Amino acid sequence: MKNGAHQVTLLFLLIFAISGESIAAGKDQSQINCSIQDGPCIQEVNGHKVTLEVLPRPVKAMHDLIFKVTIDGDVALSKPPHIDLNMPAMDMGRNRVSLKSNEKNIYEGSGVIVRCKSGHRTWRAAVNFPGIGIADFIFDVIY
Amino acid sequence: MSSTRTLLLAYLATGFTVGFGHCIGMCGPLVVSFSLRLKDHGILIPHLLYHCGRILTYMVLGGIMGAMGSFAMVAANIALIQKAAMFFAGVLIVFMGLSTTGWISLVKISLLDDTPSGVLSSRVGRLVKSQSVITYLPVGLILGLLPCGPVYTALLGAARAGMEAQVVYHGILSGMALMLTFGIGTVPALFLVAKLVDMGWLKSRDIIYRVGGVLMIGVGIYFVISAIRY
Repeated sequence: MKNGAHQVTLLFLLIFAISGESIAAGKDQSQINCSIQDGPCIQEVNGHKVTLEVLPRPVKAMHDLIFKVTIDGDVALSKPPHIDLNMPAMDMGRNRVSLKSNEKNIYEGSGVIVRCKSGHRTWRAAVNFPGIGIADFIFDVIY
Repeated sequence: MSSTRTLLLAYLATGFTVGFGHCIGMCGPLVVSFSLRLKDHGILIPHLLYHCGRILTYMVLGGIMGAMGSFAMVAANIALIQKAAMFFAGVLIVFMGLSTTGWISLVKISLLDDTPSGVLSSRVGRLVKSQSVITYLPVGLILGLLPCGPVYTALLGAARAGMEAQVVYHGILSGMALMLTFGIGTVPALFLVAKLVDMGWLKSRDIIYRVGGVLMIGVGIYFVISAIRY
């Protein structure tokens, strides 16, 4: 019977894990710090202002997008910067946008924000400048 | 060669972590439904067949992405098929739920109905009633088409591999190999969920079937509504 109780506990944990996804998704909205549909967003990382712009607008999931990133001040990067795209509420796998520099402090790369079956549309773009830090941009995309 | 191997290992690891972080939540109800259906049978072979079907579909999609080298273009073209697959999955789960609870004799009802929905009911009903484990392979093949964020992300990599390939043939092979390793990586999490439900003590309780059946009907309706709204 003790074994059976363990099994029921495990089953409830499973149901909890499944329902937890929708609970977690509810927290998405409160984390939004960027209105990417309206234009570029700015975040500060270790004294540097990092700007992210995604084109074309409106920013739609499942479409080819251009990610433009700028950083102010003197920066010496050990590696090229990149953007990791994911959902704050759920792991969508590794979706990395490599950035290349067109001119000083301006970087650009192309990528796609995928669509989640759940219908949740809040995404995080973690702009990583190696040696400086990560700027988190959390915004809604259009499906 | 070593970079290819590293990429494949990365996809295997991604599949594994995404399996526990995502698939359990999104596809867990599906494998739970299968386990509940397999009341008095072993779950290993049917679940392996389901995963083989699912991974085969991933590989075909990976091959197409690798050949075309464009994710957005292919994704736009298969969106309708995926919507249909999600709708089908929903109907299948509802029927499985009804059958599991024993509330409705599906085949009896569907045979009296010659409307298109009746024909669909008949087909699905036959699939649900079938005791042959081989039916889990086509089910996996179809459900591999379900719209899924992490699968899309993996397919992005397959398209990128195709874009970087010198020859189309290499792009196809790379895309297929990446999706194969990704798919294999997702199996342990889903199999663990399936095994959790397949415990003798639980399976001997009729109440579990009633509750599980109702749960399946709810999940199936959620899939159908998601498909309509997708």
